[in-house]
Amino acid sequence: MALKTAMFIAVVLVAGATAGTIHGLANLVLVEPYLDGAIMIENQALFASGQEEDTPEFWAEYESYRIWQKEGQVLASAMLGTSMGALFGIVYVLSRDALPKGHDLKKASVLAAIMWFSVYLVPFLKYPANPPTVGDGETVVLRAVLYLSFIAITGFGAVGFYQVYRRVAKNRKFVAFAGYAALVAVAFALMPPNPDEVAIQTELLDGFRVMSAVGVTIFWTALAIILGALWQKLRPDSEAKLQH
Amino acid sequence: MSNSSMQVTKSPRKVPVAAVVALGLVFVFGLFVVGFDQGHIFSMAFGEQAFEDMYIHELTHDLRHAAGFPCH
Repeated sequence: MALKTAMFIAVVLVAGATAGTIHGLANLVLVEPYLDGAIMIENQALFASGQEEDTPEFWAEYESYRIWQKEGQVLASAMLGTSMGALFGIVYVLSRDALPKGHDLKKASVLAAIMWFSVYLVPFLKYPANPPTVGDGETVVLRAVLYLSFIAITGFGAVGFYQVYRRVAKNRKFVAFAGYAALVAVAFALMPPNPDEVAIQTELLDGFRVMSAVGVTIFWTALAIILGALWQKLRPDSEAKLQH
Repeated sequence: MSNSSMQVTKSPRKVPVAAVVALGLVFVFGLFVVGFDQGHIFSMAFGEQAFEDMYIHELTHDLRHAAGFPCH
């Protein structure tokens, strides 16, 4: 029997957009103070080089621009949440029968934990988030290619070794975990490092990275809870027939 | 009142390909807009000026940093 297509798409998109909005609102508290601190360093560099003048007009324009960017951050978070929610929904509907039995909240949480680990945490450890002032505009395309390539390796690697996990005997399941660990280790060793020099206060850098990771973790947690709860309540995959 | 018995039957799920394709497009487009656009989308309407303005880049700037995307 066919999945209720419209319901399925609606559940996935609503869950993603809501979780993304929560992520964006959390970032206003967690990450934005660090971004403001880093951009302030950029402003000081502009004043020192004579590219800008430290005037009330500059600060008025700056404050207005930053408010616009912070509003944009929440909007972009909702969009990214919708996008990642769509990926999560595809993987969820294709793998749901293989996830642990029980409530959809449990199933969604297990899948979200796997995806958080494989497409966020592992790539983050190789290419951690950086605040403004660290990235060089000349290397942004190279860094994007490296980042996406690494996510593709760790993400598709997880799918591949899950197939191994399914096929091997119960007492040999560790082979799948060991294989994935080996793949990640090789990717870590062979992929080039971030080419940009990091010349910023350690306190600012570390604080930013921790808060960035907390924010993304909030997103994956919210996505699992919302999608799992909606799926359990609306059952887009179930059309039970009553037969007399 | 009828005494007829009721039986609930469930048949295997079929995942609609159209839904998966639609969600796949949402994923790719959304990820590109939020994480990687440097003026490409608006350049279709505004030409080379879009790569100078980088409107979407500036709008999504804070999230790009916060979510770990490469940025300047």
